[in-house]
Parts: sequence; C-alpha cells; structure tokens
Amino acid sequence: MQGVLAALPAAALARHADGQTTHPSEQPVNRDNLGGRSVPAASQPARDDYHPAFFTQAEWHFLNAACDCLIPPDHIGPGAVQAGVPQYIDRQMATPWAAGAEWYMQAPFFDAKPEFGYQSRLTPRQQYRLGIRAIDQACRQEAGSPFADMPAEHQVDILRRIESGAITSPDLSLRLFFTSFLLANTREGYFCDPMYGGNRGMEAWAMIGHPGARADYLDWVGRDGPYPYGPVDIHGDDA
Amino acid sequence: MTDPARTKGRLAAAGALLSALGIAAVAAIVLHRPEPRLAMAMTGTGDARHGAYVAVLGDCAACHTAPGGTPLTGGVPLETPMGVLYSSNITPASRTGIGRYTFVDFVRVMRYGVRPDGTRLYPAMPYTAYARMSDGDLRDLYAYLRQDVVPVEQATRPSTMRWPFDMRWPLALWNLAFHHPAPFRPDPTRDAQWNRGAYLVTGPAHCGTCHTPRGLAFQEAGLDEHAQRFLSGSAFAGASPVDLRGDGAVAGWPAADIATELKTGRNRASAVSGPMGEVVEHSTRYMSMADLDAVAVYLKSLSPASAGRPLRFAPSGETMAAFMAARPAGRGARLYMDSCAACHRLSGLGEENTFPRLAGNPLVLERNPDSLITVVLGGARMPSTAGAPTGLAMPPFGWRYGDADIAKLVTFIRTGWGNNAPAVSEGEVRAVRRHLADTMAYTQPQSGQ
Ligand code: HEC
Ligand code: HEC
Ligand code: HEC
Repeated sequence: MQGVLAALPAAALARHADGQTTHPSEQPVNRDNLGGRSVPAASQPARDDYHPAFFTQAEWHFLNAACDCLIPPDHIGPGAVQAGVPQYIDRQMATPWAAGAEWYMQAPFFDAKPEFGYQSRLTPRQQYRLGIRAIDQACRQEAGSPFADMPAEHQVDILRRIESGAITSPDLSLRLFFTSFLLANTREGYFCDPMYGGNRGMEAWAMIGHPGARADYLDWVGRDGPYPYGPVDIHGDDA
Repeated sequence: MTDPARTKGRLAAAGALLSALGIAAVAAIVLHRPEPRLAMAMTGTGDARHGAYVAVLGDCAACHTAPGGTPLTGGVPLETPMGVLYSSNITPASRTGIGRYTFVDFVRVMRYGVRPDGTRLYPAMPYTAYARMSDGDLRDLYAYLRQDVVPVEQATRPSTMRWPFDMRWPLALWNLAFHHPAPFRPDPTRDAQWNRGAYLVTGPAHCGTCHTPRGLAFQEAGLDEHAQRFLSGSAFAGASPVDLRGDGAVAGWPAADIATELKTGRNRASAVSGPMGEVVEHSTRYMSMADLDAVAVYLKSLSPASAGRPLRFAPSGETMAAFMAARPAGRGARLYMDSCAACHRLSGLGEENTFPRLAGNPLVLERNPDSLITVVLGGARMPSTAGAPTGLAMPPFGWRYGDADIAKLVTFIRTGWGNNAPAVSEGEVRAVRRHLADTMAYTQPQSGQ
C-alpha cells in the first residue's frame, strides 16, 4: 500500500526514463550523466610522458626547441615547454580547425593584404609540416644541423630573420607560418585552460594574476592592492 | 483536519473494523460506489470557458498531456517504486476517453477517485484535493472537457504495478482511512480574499500534494490550515518542496513577492526550479492576479509548523568580509567563489530579478536539502512567462565536483551570510545524484509553448 501511494508525489517529478544510465555514484565526478547537456570534455592536462600523435620525432624536437625560444623559463614564470605548449599544439592538430574544416578553403587563392584574412591553400597541419621542414632545411644549409641542435642564440636569430622576412621558402610563406601559427599557437597554449594540454598547473595565469575560470572579480575592482586569490580552471581545480 | 494522532486513530479503527466484520464488510466497502451529492442547481450546462480556467488551476495538463503529445490524451508515465502508472486519456473520446462519463460519473472520479465501473484510481490522481472543488467549478470543468477538448481515441497504457500493488480494491480501504471527500467550507471569520486563497490552495491547485509531508501510508499529513503540518515542507525524488508556513522563508516575503513568484517564476530575490518550475509553467502563470494575491494572503496566514524553531536567517556581513580579507571559511567557501559568485555574488545577494539571492533564500534554508542539491548538480532554468520571458539558466555543476565537494559547497551556502540551515552530508548528495540520472530532463522545464 505504501508504495502505491508513493506514486502521488512522484507524479510530478518522475516520468519514465528510457535507457540505462550507469550509476552516477560509481564515479567520483560525473561528466556523462547530465542528460545530454554539454559539459566540457574530460580534463587532460599536460603530462610528463607525452607522445606526440601528429608530429614526427624530428618535428617534435623542432617544436620543443622553438617553443623554448619563444617563451623561455625565467624568474617571472614558467617556459612554454614546462607549461606543456608543444603538447597543446600537437593536440590541436587533431581538431577540425587543423584540417581547415572551419574555413573557406577553395580557390581562388590570392596574395592579399592581411586584413583580407587567411588566403593560403594550406591547412594548419600542412603549415606545420611544410614550415618545420623548410626551417630545418634552412638551418642545415646555414649551420649543418637542424634547428633543434643549434645553440640557443643562433635559434633566436633564425626565428628573428623568419619573422622579418629575411629567410624565405618556395613552399610557403615562412613569415605567415611563424606569426599566424607557431607564435600564435604558442601564446594560446601558454595561457589556455589546462584541460587543453597547456598552461600546466595554471602557472601562466598565476604569473599575471588572472583568476581563470572564476570569471569574476568585480568586488576587487577599484580597491587598492593585488587580487588575493589564485586561479581556478574549467574543471574546478584550484591552483 | 488530519493530525497524525487522529490519522493513527483512523488506521487503528479501520483495522479493528476489518477484523470484527470480516470479509463481508471489506467486500461491502470495496464494492460500494459513492453517490455524489450535488446541489439542485447543477442540472444546467456549465460555462466551458471558465472550465478551461479551472483546468489550469488544477494543472490537469501536467499529468494528462505527455510532452509533445496530443492534449489530455494521457499516457504520461508516473514512476513509482512499485511500477509505472500511466495517466488516463481524459479527452471526450467515447471508447478510450471520458466521452461516456455523465456529470455524476465525473464528480465521482474527481471527489472519490472511483471510476464509473466502480474501480478505484490510485491517488497519484490528486482526487484527495480535488474533492474540495465546488459543484460549480466541476460543472464548468466538465463542460470544458466535453465541449472544447478534441476527442482522440488513444487507449491508456495499462500500469505495470507489481503485485500486490496492481490490485486496486485495497485503495477503497485506504480511502476509508485517509480520504476526506468533504467539500470546501468557507471560514466565516475570514474575508472573501482569504477564503478564495484557501479554496485554491487546498482544492483545485492541490499545493499540498507536494508541499505537505506524508504519513506512514503516504497520506498527506493534513489537508488544510487546521493541521499543523499542512504545507510544512516535504521531500520526494530529489526535490524538497519548501515549507510554506510561518516558519519558512517564503512567509517572510511580502504577499506581492509570493504572487509575482507564482505569476512569473521569479521575483526580486528568488526563482522557481524543478517541479515548481513546471507548476508555474503549466498552471500558476495563467492564474489571475486576483487569485494569486488570494493564494499569497492565505499562505501568509499560516502559523509556523512548530513553535520555538530557531530563526533561520539573520543577515550577517561576516561572510563577505572574510572573502574580501582573503580568508574564506574553508573549502566550501572557496568553491562558492570559484563557481557561483560570478552570478550570485560574493555577498550572496545575487542580482534583482536575474540571479536569485542565496542569503535568506527559501530553497537554501529548507530543512531537507534535496532541491538545493538538485539545482547545484543539474542546474536550472526559469520558466519563460509572459511577465518574464527570458528563461535565465543556471549551469550544472555535477560534472565539475564530486559528492564530497558538493556537500561542502552546499553546507557553506546554508551557513553563509547569516543563513542557518543544517549541514549537508556526502551521502545526501550521493542519493540525490542517483535520482538525477533518471529525471534530468525535469530540472529544466521546456520554456514558452
Ligand atoms: C499529479 C498528476 C495528475 C493531475 C495533476 C491530474 N491527474 Fe487525473 N489522473 C492521473 C492519473 C495517474 C490517473 C490514472 C490513475 C489510475 O490509473 O489509477 C488519472 C485519472 C484521471 C481520470 C480517470 C479517467 C479514467 O476513467 O481512467 C480523470 C477523469 C482525471 N484523471 C481527470 C483529471 C482532471 C480533470 C484533472 C485536472 C483538474 C486531473 N485529472 C489532474 C494523474 C493526474
Ligand atoms: C509538483 C509538486 C509541487 C506542487 C504541486 C507545488 N509545488 Fe511549490 N514547490 C515545489 C518544489 C519542489 C519547490 C522547491 C523548488 C523551488 O523552490 O523552486 C517548491 C517551491 C515553492 C515556493 C518557493 C519558490 C522559491 O523561490 O524558492 C513557493 C512560493 C511555492 N512552491 C508555492 C506553491 C504553491 C502556492 C503551490 C500551489 C499552487 C505549489 N507550490 C504547488 C513543488 C511543488
Ligand atoms: C551563470 C550564472 C550562475 C552561476 C555561475 C550559478 N548560478 Fe545559481 N542560479 C542562476 C540562475 C539564473 C538561477 C535561477 C534558475 C532557476 O531557479 O530556475 C539560479 C538558481 C540557483 C539556486 C536556486 C535559488 C532559488 O531561488 O530557488 C541556488 C540554490 C543556486 N542557484 C546556487 C548556485 C550555486 C551553489 C552555484 C555554484 C556552484 C551557482 N548557483 C552558480 C545562475 C547561476
């Protein structure tokens, strides 16, 4: 009798749910059972034993060396490599963005001013593949070794000359590769949410006093003195 | 009308009666088909237009119209621990609906839960409250269902209740013990507005179905203001309808705030969620302001459920001061700052008409924390109403934090800013999470249809 009457209150709340759901309490944190509403993919921060999925071993060496030149570690904050930036870029290579799937990628392809947007026929993946090959080639011609094996000062000099347009390649615009991809993606990976593989331990956010995914510090605006709290990431972990 | 002692008395009386009179008496009760007594004037046809409004008051569509289904054809599954019950087709279809119901048949169902063929309805159909509806309202409702609802033949799915709950005859005994089919009687010492509110709340709007705690046999522990526990807050399936009496936080609101909450799903400081969102969406938002004011006046007249309960909210600036001084009180406070303060603010005061105020909030202060936990785990969306069309939403946080963290977070908001509600345990969060996996769709009412 009791159960029958339990139907009363349940009436308003519980309609029959089709399909089995794994029992939520079996997991410490549940990301899958929220009725199909979008929640961020599981967090996979940078790790020590990372194996690149897109980049070859040689390309991986280049990427690590280049990132280290662009944001070297110092007393103010971590370097790009410690922050996991190469891992971030490798993981980006698996996204639709890297395949150019989000852009209009059909002819005609013109040389146009930057304000006309991306005009190359190359996808970001091809940019990295061809760009790294061209830079390593230039380094071999100049110094007899690939970029990763050169002394640090020489590496910085090479990147400077690529940025200024002094080193070029017949395969692609190295300058575009450098500014629009290598440098831009390094910055992104350095300041991204840790769930994307970069900004390990939110150290880059801590360095600049950014509260992260807290999204708000209005109460401190207009007050004297620094913001007193460390950052938080999208998955709720505090630094 | 029903206090626990009297209810037990009735139970005992029913038991004694049974053993004394034996099978024959049981059979007499079970086979008895109540004959509704109606005023003489009830012979004319009703006012179907007013009947449509009565259907809104009674929220018939909530249970008799499946989401996306044909209106009032039933088939809405109501899950119970004993199996699934399906609501009936109440369109005037003659084979599968109520097309062959006479008015007297209709009154018998609405007041006694007895079908024309004598079978008993499960009280999932709230005839326990509808019994108080006036002859006139039932007449109009009947006219509406017969004249304005399109007849659609759609057989009601048989329930899948397990033995022995699949037998309907024992419900006659339950009715004998717990059902009070007395019509609403106005209180002559009160004014017309109060009496209108009392009629609506205890009758057609059946607020007690959810807001009144239940006894051992799942009967409501009181059907009107004479019972101390009437509308004193309840709990079911991951929801905790709040205490609407004098000791609940709602009673502290001005009557206009209560009416606004029911009309638009939100007011200056609060917003509805979960099952209450559905009540607003399908029923109260269509109620006239005069009726809503009457409901508010009636609710505010209810005495506290128990004397001497400690004051549950005394505003305090200490929580905010601790945040600003970079010494938040423990992990719960830290999580609040990380995940909630962007909208509800570090002050807990929210933003008027937009983000509910958590300081002094009825849901936050409610003894049973289930609705609160449900909102935090699964998020919520305000219903979209004519007065407040934007269905502002709160994102879910169940994916972000485990049960232990949610318990700390919820305990923090129940004790911050001067709130004074009991702490919440990890186990309580786990239990609600279990429910949520099945009923998720219910935390976000579909808006504006
Ligand atoms: C809380 C849910 C709920 C609400 C609200 C509700 N009903 Fe029902 N109703 C049910 C269920 C469930 C049944 C079937 C019960 C059973 O099979 O024992 C039912 C059965 C009925 C029946 C019996 C039909 C038959 O012969 O099987 C009628 C008539 C009816 N409801 C009318 C109404 C009207 C009119 C309203 C609005 C004033 C209403 N109901 C509101 C749940 C509800
Ligand atoms: C289907 C079950 C159900 C019914 C029927 C119901 N309520 Fe509720 N009510 C709830 C639940 C669950 C809550 C807690 C969630 C919330 O506060 O929105 C609630 C909360 C409330 C609140 C507080 C809202 C807030 O801002 O926290 C008020 C006021 C209220 N109900 C009034 C009523 C009135 C008046 C009626 C009758 C017209 C009614 N309820 C009928 C389930 C119900
Ligand atoms: C993006 C803004 C936003 C964030 C972040 C947010 N909320 Fe909400 N919250 C809302 C809105 C909007 C509502 C009203 C939704 C409703 O009741 O249907 C709400 C409702 C609530 C309610 C119910 C209030 C009432 O009046 O019944 C509680 C309790 C609550 N939130 C707690 C929290 C907690 C705890 C967190 C952090 C884990 C949080 N909220 C984060 C926007 C937000």
